[in-house]
Amino acid sequence: MKTPRSFGLLAIVFAAAYAVVYVVAVAQNYALFTYHPVPGTITMGVMKPYDGPAMYWYGWIATGALGALAACLIACVVPATLGKRVSSVWSWVVPLGVLLVFAYLLRNYFLT
Amino acid sequence: MSFTVLLIIHGLLAVALLGAITHQAASVWLPARKPAGSFVGRFRGVGAAAYTNGIIVLYICTFVFGSIIYPEFRINIRNIVEEVGQHAVMGTFELKEHFAVVGLAVLPAYWFFWRLPLADEHRRARMCLTAILAFVVWWNFLVGHVVNNVRGFGA
Repeated sequence: MKTPRSFGLLAIVFAAAYAVVYVVAVAQNYALFTYHPVPGTITMGVMKPYDGPAMYWYGWIATGALGALAACLIACVVPATLGKRVSSVWSWVVPLGVLLVFAYLLRNYFLT
Repeated sequence: MSFTVLLIIHGLLAVALLGAITHQAASVWLPARKPAGSFVGRFRGVGAAAYTNGIIVLYICTFVFGSIIYPEFRINIRNIVEEVGQHAVMGTFELKEHFAVVGLAVLPAYWFFWRLPLADEHRRARMCLTAILAFVVWWNFLVGHVVNNVRGFGA
């Protein structure tokens, strides 16, 4: 099966954009929705816990996916000559940096 | 009870994933230079590209099962771990959930750079993406194991 070369550009953009949007969503709590596991309900946006804890993780994943999808749509309309200049390095440098950012954001768990 | 079954399936998928990604990472970072005779040499000498689709499927399945059992952890286990002052354990688990998502994000690029025939210009991207996935899988496996030991299902 042949894979179009443009898939490579989209894959790079997806990896970088998803990682960045996700870490911003976590840091600023931009959850697309909130899951309340005890009653088993979902509310749109960020909601405070009621009747048990609130889970934002699924909402952050959705926010990241939405951001990555938007970035891929933008990449689709970028001229091919510009797209060719996007290095494959971004596909791993940005996610690697995001892993380090998470380690920094959560440092208080290990310092207390 | 059903959560325990799902946790075991999650763990078994993680074991398979751990083996596959470690084989691939070893063969791409420490390739065997000659026909391997030893156990370690054969471990490094596998055809790395053949593992790619299996790793992606296993990663997604492990992630999905983890996502399904996560609410049980949030409701019944997390509070207890925090109450007993295991902050570092909670921190490692928080990292686990975020690392897992970052691993998910790189899968399309990982697949693209590992598709056959392997392109020489993408060798470094292949190596680094494989290393990131290997790190994430190892971290998540070990943390999951530790958290389960601290307060496993049915404890």
